[in-house]
Amino acid sequence: MRSLLNPLFAIVLAAALAACSSTPTEDDTSATDNMSQQTDTSPVTPVEPSEPVKPDTSSIPLTADNFYNHPSNYDGTTDSRVIYFAFDSNTVPAAAFETLRAHATYLKNNANAKIRLEGHADERGTREYNVALSERRSKAVEKFLRVQGVASSQLEIVSYGEEKPAAFGHGEMDWAKNRRVEINYLSGRP
Amino acid sequence: MIGVLRMQQACKRKVWTQISIALMAALWMVNAQAELLIKVTEGRVDAVPIAVVPFDGAQNAPEDVSQIVQADLHRSGQFKPLPPEDMLSRPRNEQEMIYRDFKVLGTEYVITGSMKAQETGGYEVSYALFDVARQKKLMSETYRPPESQLRDVAHAISDRIYEQLTGIPGAFSTKILYVTHNRHDANPYQLQYADADGHRVTTILRSKEPIMSPTWSPDGRKIAYVSFEDQGRPAIYIHSLATTEREKVSSFSGINGAPDWSPDGQKLALTLSRDGNPEIYMLNLSTKGLTRLTNNYGIDTEPRWLPDGEHLVFTSSRSGGPQIYKLNINDKSVRRVSFQGAYNARSDVTPDGRYLVYVHRRNGNFNVGVQDLQRGTFNIVTRTDMDESPSVAPNGSMVIYGTQHGGTGVLEAVSIDGRVKVELPSKEGEVREPAWSPFL
Repeated sequence: MRSLLNPLFAIVLAAALAACSSTPTEDDTSATDNMSQQTDTSPVTPVEPSEPVKPDTSSIPLTADNFYNHPSNYDGTTDSRVIYFAFDSNTVPAAAFETLRAHATYLKNNANAKIRLEGHADERGTREYNVALSERRSKAVEKFLRVQGVASSQLEIVSYGEEKPAAFGHGEMDWAKNRRVEINYLSGRP
Repeated sequence: MIGVLRMQQACKRKVWTQISIALMAALWMVNAQAELLIKVTEGRVDAVPIAVVPFDGAQNAPEDVSQIVQADLHRSGQFKPLPPEDMLSRPRNEQEMIYRDFKVLGTEYVITGSMKAQETGGYEVSYALFDVARQKKLMSETYRPPESQLRDVAHAISDRIYEQLTGIPGAFSTKILYVTHNRHDANPYQLQYADADGHRVTTILRSKEPIMSPTWSPDGRKIAYVSFEDQGRPAIYIHSLATTEREKVSSFSGINGAPDWSPDGQKLALTLSRDGNPEIYMLNLSTKGLTRLTNNYGIDTEPRWLPDGEHLVFTSSRSGGPQIYKLNINDKSVRRVSFQGAYNARSDVTPDGRYLVYVHRRNGNFNVGVQDLQRGTFNIVTRTDMDESPSVAPNGSMVIYGTQHGGTGVLEAVSIDGRVKVELPSKEGEVREPAWSPFL
């Protein structure tokens, strides 16, 4: 299992690093000045070797442990609307970077579009504490989008804790599906 | 802690008696709501043998007061009622009392009574309590309730008998507030309350969006809760049970959660993340003034007032995982209270302020633990998993909490010493977040 996991991480890490090079710095105040930034993403992009071939990830088994970072959960477009998280974590998974950048680009290009980041936790632990934990997940996604240059007025956060599960079972895989942030377009849906 | 575990093992002689009160009552209940069935899964081995003789005339009444009294006393775990079919005689009053018929069966106390329909409507309900060893009547009373209040009278009698025999006021006339979730329902989230024995369910609110953290005002007339009904955003509402009027008292950006009423009823402690991350605030309900009480980069939530009205306990992640802290609301000083294990959260406090009851994680299981603030001891009092939202009865005798049976949320109650356990499984859907009312 572990030997299978490592290549996956290598792949997403590579993708993440390639991605990072074209992102603004983590100072998210620079991200607030809006439209002018849309066009200047290409000059910063380093010389890319060639169109990267999307690795075939279909052979990587989907488990509760790697669910949050599994490439099959993210298609890299705004069609992907759910970001998953590891247990007790609010780190945005590398496999979701491309998807989140697609949403960021869309939001920057469509000032009328507004999203709500709906944070969720699995059922373990107390309810109000889980509300707080799920808020941290939404905030991590919010920060990612802000760093990409999305205006704060296009973002809203709601934290549901364990109150609105996506999977109703009580096993590790159900919990993996429930630790998530849903991207809900309130207006200007792609 | 080990001592208590051993004691629990010694209690293996479980009282696997299922009370049929819920079934019986269901025959009469006009209200078709899902009632909570109550089952005593573990009573004390030293439970006091008692006999509640079926009341004269009860078979013709809409509610059998003697059955309800028997069930109440049984549910406390402190009494072991003699099944009526085992009684050698069934006295209706003091004149018919034959003490030796109960003495030979080891019964220590006997309750007799009668129910008479009145020509003017309503009932006359009389009862008497006898001490078998001393061959003496301890107390007797008569009530004249309308038919609709027979259950109230039964619980009042249970309260009187319980206090007479234990020295502690009974909590049978109280209510339990809770949230139900049935995802197949058009309004999956419902806020309900019921008698402490699970009967007479009243629905307070139905919603498509989550309802959380219900809690009682100290006078038992109002409740506060979190509802996401307004476009999926959380707000805290105060809801008057008698008038059903309600007021939205908190709807800031971010989290509006975990309301808890101050003992004087004037203030609400709550969690808000409007200033960046979850912090504890105090809302003055008359002036609407808001005071921030915590200031920490960690999560601060789940405040509960201590009875002195000067302190709160709350959950904080300031040391890593969640732990219980105590806050002085005057100088805002904070002191850590829980030290065992890596996860302690959502505390409640006994009315005397002596015990803290909270959720404790051990080996991946979530259980209810009781910390004795005087002695500093800590005991885990449940053996289920996924236990949450413990709420202490107003007489401090029992803790009701949410847990899971076969993947479904149910309520259970346990005595503070862990020796008595009671299940309250629901017939449909999930039941969770119980809040035990004050004395009403």
